[in-house]
Amino acid sequence: MSDFHHDAEFRLHTPEFNELNKKLDRRDFLTKTSLGIGALALGSLFGNKLFSSSPHIAPASGVATGDLEADILRALPHFAPKAKRVVYLFQSGGPSQFETFDYKPMLAKMMGQNLPDSVRKGQRLTGMSANQSALPMVPSYYKFNQHGQNGTWMSELMPFTAAVVDELCIVKSMYSEAINHDPAITFFQTGNQLPGRPSIGSWISYGLGSDNNNLPTFIVLVSKNGQKDQPLYARLWGNGFLPSKYQGVQFRAGKDPVLFLNNPDGYDGKNRKEMLEYLSKLNQMQNAAYGDPEVDARIAQYEMAYRMQTSVPEVMSTADEPNEIFEMYGPDSRDSGTYAANCLLARKLLEKDVKFIQLYHQGWDQHSNLPSGIATQCKATDQATAALIKDLKQRGLLEDTLVIWGGEFGRTVYSQGKLTANDYGRDHHPRCFTMWMAGAGVKPGLVYGETDDFSYNIVKDPVHVHDFQATLLHLMGIDHERLTYKFQGRRFRLTDVEGKVVKDILT
Amino acid sequence: MTLGNITTFSGHLHPLIVHLPIGFILLAAVFNILSYNKKYENLKPAVSVTLLIGFISAVLACLFGYILSLSGDYEKSTLLHHKLSGITLTVISGILYYISTEKVIREIRMPKKLFSVLLLGMIALMSYSGHEGASLTHGNDYLSVRTLMQQVREKPASVQSAMIFEDVVAPILQSKCAQCHQGGKQKGNFSVENLQTLLKGGKTGPAIVPGKLAESELFKRVTLDPGHKDFMPADGKPPLSKNEIQIIKWWITKANAVEGKTLAQLKDADSIQMQVSTYLGFNKNTAENADGNGVTQTINADIPIHADTLPMAHLRTKGLMVRVMLKKPIMLDVTLPVNSGVKMSEIRDDLMPLAKNIIWLNLSGNNFTDNDLHILASFINLEKLRIEKNPVTDAVCNDLISLRHLEAVNLNETKITEMTVANLKKNTAIKRIYTWGTAVKPAN
Repeated sequence: MSDFHHDAEFRLHTPEFNELNKKLDRRDFLTKTSLGIGALALGSLFGNKLFSSSPHIAPASGVATGDLEADILRALPHFAPKAKRVVYLFQSGGPSQFETFDYKPMLAKMMGQNLPDSVRKGQRLTGMSANQSALPMVPSYYKFNQHGQNGTWMSELMPFTAAVVDELCIVKSMYSEAINHDPAITFFQTGNQLPGRPSIGSWISYGLGSDNNNLPTFIVLVSKNGQKDQPLYARLWGNGFLPSKYQGVQFRAGKDPVLFLNNPDGYDGKNRKEMLEYLSKLNQMQNAAYGDPEVDARIAQYEMAYRMQTSVPEVMSTADEPNEIFEMYGPDSRDSGTYAANCLLARKLLEKDVKFIQLYHQGWDQHSNLPSGIATQCKATDQATAALIKDLKQRGLLEDTLVIWGGEFGRTVYSQGKLTANDYGRDHHPRCFTMWMAGAGVKPGLVYGETDDFSYNIVKDPVHVHDFQATLLHLMGIDHERLTYKFQGRRFRLTDVEGKVVKDILT
Repeated sequence: MTLGNITTFSGHLHPLIVHLPIGFILLAAVFNILSYNKKYENLKPAVSVTLLIGFISAVLACLFGYILSLSGDYEKSTLLHHKLSGITLTVISGILYYISTEKVIREIRMPKKLFSVLLLGMIALMSYSGHEGASLTHGNDYLSVRTLMQQVREKPASVQSAMIFEDVVAPILQSKCAQCHQGGKQKGNFSVENLQTLLKGGKTGPAIVPGKLAESELFKRVTLDPGHKDFMPADGKPPLSKNEIQIIKWWITKANAVEGKTLAQLKDADSIQMQVSTYLGFNKNTAENADGNGVTQTINADIPIHADTLPMAHLRTKGLMVRVMLKKPIMLDVTLPVNSGVKMSEIRDDLMPLAKNIIWLNLSGNNFTDNDLHILASFINLEKLRIEKNPVTDAVCNDLISLRHLEAVNLNETKITEMTVANLKKNTAIKRIYTWGTAVKPAN
């Protein structure tokens, strides 16, 4: 501590702080000792072999086996994982199930008729359509056709997705608890309607750690070409109460995905490592006094930024991509920051073993002008989505990558606003909607769950948002009931006190 | 709270309190014997006070014991013996205390040796009473010479030769039910001693009705919601596992609750073979690897439970990603980063000791040749292999044909031809072969 001869004078010496320090010490002691005992008990699981090897290792090797044992003991998988990486294509705004996946031919005959009370069962509506004098039902403006080996019905709006339908596990019976965007999307991403909980990607990052030390474990891409009708907030990929280093890192659309990674003019960066080492020392000294985990996070972030100076330009470079790949993802894919370009970037990040990639595409909130609005949305996303599946498949990455597509809720069978021959809108509907998964561990070519003839209520195999989250964690090897974090005196989970793994869709 | 709860509660204190007089009275005897030795002579006065405390605690134990006996469900004769011997013991300890007080000693001048003999006699009585008490709680044959002499059924040699009732169902019931439903303590007038008592059942009717699950009270009770008041085993004792319940269900419905039949002699035994073999411990790793959600995973039983950390540490220092996929058995996912510049000769010696633990292996894009990859033949538990973007040729498939668990092989952008695909198809375990960017023509 002689280096820190001055650190005593910077220490706070208020009674409160001294008291806190004492408590920290006691807590630290208890944690360390109790963990030590736990580790000893766990040691028997591995037999002597695991531990007997430790004396042989030379300290010079840089990795003490002690760390490795601790690492194995800490290693989370509660059971063998099926998926190693996840790419979650979030369609923000609430895509209508009627014009995409949930084919309801009966509605064609009932166009304009009022939604029967026997179907609505007095369910409350949003303030946007609750005062409508009528709730005229409206069929899909677009045609449906059967695709794939199982003859799955798909809308003509998604010809590319239809071509890969045999890879998809479509869940038509999703339901949520929230009826408006912010609570619903927060619910989907964090397991709770109120802000403040860690997002799925943060939980996974916290639980499983990184497979590539040169890139963040959890990366967020927001497409620039989605209509920004409903906002997205950084807290959707926030770490909540988990340590800050588990938050999602958003790559910006455009030339500089991560700002300030390039060295400024006139600086060659040669002594940056030395500078960072010194900075890290200063930070550690500071932290010796304050014990603030945010300082640890800051140290980790500086180091990550340093490694990203080489890894990010490498992964962002599309120079090696042949023309046919761009053609597969569609013309937008050459325009950095679009959904298509982000899908391509996602594939490159997945190749680098980035664990959780969250894409967001906004603009699915068609309260009015739905036929034209949803066509635009599909056009911007359909080809690239399907291309991502195909590309991952041909590279063999679909083996251990899980692809997820879906929004925060569905839309109503009745038209919001005036229904005309070729125009209508649909309001929010949390009681049923469609999403799909593909790849590692889920059954390909499966359609799971059913809705009634009005896609208003679920009639078979309902899947709650928490069930989806439980299943997602399960595929990563995590028991959603056992991945917890203690905060404010209580152990929190992504799925709160609910969630059941949807066994029927697992391979 | 009702009065009933208070009596039940204090009744349950009996097993706790009863150990106090045992301890004190024993201690009094020990002090008494020791005081014959000059060195411990000064312990003599302590005998009296120890006996007093023993007496008081014995009175309390009697009181709580009486309350407990009111709850019933105990075998009458054992209970009577326990009760009488316990009360006698208490009375004698009181008398002995009285005799040992200084005032009385002075008056009656009892020979010291007689006192010691009385004390030892009391210990004998206490042992008898204690044994009877234990028989009430744990069953008559809990501690008996029979246990010593009893011929333990030998573990069956194979699943097929296991007797469904004798080797499987009966031991399950013994371990989970017999504590309260056998011997001295036949709660609800029900005993799991043998098939006859099971068919007879208890207060609420037959416990097992061959072929009829819904009428079998035992099955109903063990499958209730654990919060239900009729759920068995009661009082938070360890419940039956899913595996055990499946076995009992099969035995009642499919095997008509028979005894004396081996699995080989029964029809439809295939459907329960897995559970029985898990119960008997024949397949160690394929055991129930069920999570809280009841999703069962079948884990390859050949994967070693342990792994040596030394090579793992070496691989990590050399830049490989060694990910633990499962802790028991230790399943590993090993990745060598693309273009790492690491040569096979540098990592071969560290990979080989882990060969059976590595389930997923990614060696793509590292300029490895067929020769480098000869080691793959030793990775017998490999499920997913990525060797794409390496200059490997058709020769590589020779090392992959014998891998029985290999499901997916990534050979993208290698120098393989149709021959590899044809050869690999001989390994029926392989389900997916990736050949994008090779001479192999895409299917369809």
